[in-house]
Amino acid sequence: MVTRPETAGLLTRVRGLRHTSPGRLKLLLATLLTLGLLAGLVAAVAGQSARAGTHDLGGRAQPLLIEAETIYSALADADTTAAQGFLEGGLEPATLTERYDDDLQRASTALTSAARRTPAEGAAADAVRTLSAGLAEYSALVATARANNRQGLPVGASYLSEASNLNRETLQPQARALFRTAQGEVGDGYGAAGAAGWMSLLLLLLAGLLVALLLTQRYLSRHTHRTFNVPLVAATVVTLGLTVGALAVVVNQQNHLGLAEQEGSGPVASIAESRILALQARGDEALTLAARGSGAAYESDFDAVTSRLTAGGGPLVNEYARLDPQLGTLMGRAANSYRAYVATHDQVRAFDDNGEYDRAVDLAIAPTTTQTFESLRSDLNFALEDRKAFFNDQIGQAAGGLGPLTVLGPLLALLIAGLAYVGLRARLEEYR
Amino acid sequence: MRRTAAITALVLTFGLAACSADSSPLSGDMATQPRVDVPAPAPAQGAGKAPACDPRASLPPLATLPKPGGAMPAGSYMEKIQRRDRLILGTSQDTLLFSSRNPFTGKIEGFDVDMGRQVAAAILGDPNKIQIKVIGYDQRVSAVVNGDVDIVADTMTANCERKRDVNFSTIYYEAGQRVLVSSSSPATKIEDLGGKKVCSVRGSTSYDNIAKVKSKVKPVAVARSAFGDCLVAFQRNEVDAVTTDDTILAGMAAQDPYAKVVGPKFTQEPYGMAMPKQHPEFTAFVNAVLAKNRADGTWQKTYDKWLGAQAR
Repeated sequence: MVTRPETAGLLTRVRGLRHTSPGRLKLLLATLLTLGLLAGLVAAVAGQSARAGTHDLGGRAQPLLIEAETIYSALADADTTAAQGFLEGGLEPATLTERYDDDLQRASTALTSAARRTPAEGAAADAVRTLSAGLAEYSALVATARANNRQGLPVGASYLSEASNLNRETLQPQARALFRTAQGEVGDGYGAAGAAGWMSLLLLLLAGLLVALLLTQRYLSRHTHRTFNVPLVAATVVTLGLTVGALAVVVNQQNHLGLAEQEGSGPVASIAESRILALQARGDEALTLAARGSGAAYESDFDAVTSRLTAGGGPLVNEYARLDPQLGTLMGRAANSYRAYVATHDQVRAFDDNGEYDRAVDLAIAPTTTQTFESLRSDLNFALEDRKAFFNDQIGQAAGGLGPLTVLGPLLALLIAGLAYVGLRARLEEYR
Repeated sequence: MRRTAAITALVLTFGLAACSADSSPLSGDMATQPRVDVPAPAPAQGAGKAPACDPRASLPPLATLPKPGGAMPAGSYMEKIQRRDRLILGTSQDTLLFSSRNPFTGKIEGFDVDMGRQVAAAILGDPNKIQIKVIGYDQRVSAVVNGDVDIVADTMTANCERKRDVNFSTIYYEAGQRVLVSSSSPATKIEDLGGKKVCSVRGSTSYDNIAKVKSKVKPVAVARSAFGDCLVAFQRNEVDAVTTDDTILAGMAAQDPYAKVVGPKFTQEPYGMAMPKQHPEFTAFVNAVLAKNRADGTWQKTYDKWLGAQAR
């Protein structure tokens, strides 16, 4: 390798330092100062990066996931509600109108917040834009359907089916895309919150600093008459303290992030999926009946959804009790409600397939059926809130100690560097 | 909002239903003497073009109708329906006057549904022993062929192409294709709609007829899956016009005071009920029911009930 003369000169000079005692001391000092200052810098960066990552995860990515789920389930519920209102015949009952209005309000509120949490470009932003435009069109279609229905014009039913198509074929897939994007961002968020690269570098630097300090002291005790160099001993103690502190922060952070992921956002996504699927099944039932014999596609969708919801290890039937006994009770009850609902649904299908359409409709919208389904919904809502609270708690704890690390880390590193300088300068003075 | 602007520019016009008043129901002689299909050996034919035939011809009616609810001929399709204790009728739910869902009651009703009910009454003794299956326009033939329904009464034109797959009853209604436009439109016939978007239903003869319009620039055919969807598209300004049988258009105009039906009937659309080809006895039975109802005034009463207002 060809080296330039200046570099060669500098290297020669540094190498030359090894041969004299003050030279060696200067080299040691330079090493300690470099390691100390680097450790300080990295402590600040690692602390800041982990704090920003945790903040983004808990304050943006996870809320975005929740909002995407809210939009999705509100849309599915609005579709189901509208279809049930249609089945009731005559004027839509006030409770259904209220529920539909509430769904639309929830969807648009969540959409506004989601827009704030997504960058201006990218798949999430596209989904938010399509949803905003589509939601306005959807509510206009349903409003027209109602107006026509009130006047007894059959075209109202056509408006409703147009609205339902828009909801199912355009809006819900976009909400699903937003949900998936948010899920991806939460996954990435755990990486950013962990700041594993910076944290490992910090621990590595601190370990290096500790070793360098110990070697320096061994050198000094061998080559001078003093066994202990007080400032260097102090520096070692501070470094040890800083290392233990940083290690504690990292362990605590990884521990709580792991819990938040395994027992917080993981279950949140599963419970959310259960809720969406259950609503989808209820909508399928209403649409199968509304289609009066040409709704085979909806019915096969119902079967697909049901086999996913009743399968063990799926989003609804899973080891939730392992996470929390109360959660296990809630989810177990929800799964039972769903099974009870499916039993009723089978009866509805039997009536309809047997030509008893009116009985099928009566059973599908009977208060008992609605009650079974509502208890499923409310159990899932409670379960979701439970896991959301768990997540927020864990994220809060994961952030613990990151603030002190960001502020104290660099200060202590400066102190270590200062002590090392003081300790070695006294020895260097002796060679003047 | 687009619509509001368009609407405010319009002048309220009423009596639109009367525009379609020239729809002529069955003439007396044809109603009483349906022509008879002479079973001829089927000529060797390609899969494409249907052989020329008389679309109005059907099988001769049964000489004597069994007593309603009484014993049906052994092994007949009617017997099968009797065992099931309900007639499965294939129809639509958004064709006002013929078969549409009454928003107040949630029941599907209309002229076509009553035709089905009369068949049910003749077999089972009760017009309410009927199961309505809503089928898409493009499934009217296949639903019969697959056995999903016993009979289709769904503003279905009897034509030679369909006759290859299903049997048609005698003609129970004579319709013809016209066009529905906005009440402010200068168009007076379908030829005036060159380059404009005209909606009709996938799988209907009306849809195919759009391509046959003799104008310099052809109208742009837009397909929807049901006529209700065409009316929605029309009201949302997605299409400029809707074309199909005058009877169906009358039902649309009755729901939208800003629409009018214009132009002469440019096609003949004789409606027949479609039944499985392998059960000619069922077609003969239905023809006998139709003949009896034409003779005893039931047909006229049904006509007056649903379509009378349109004819006045």
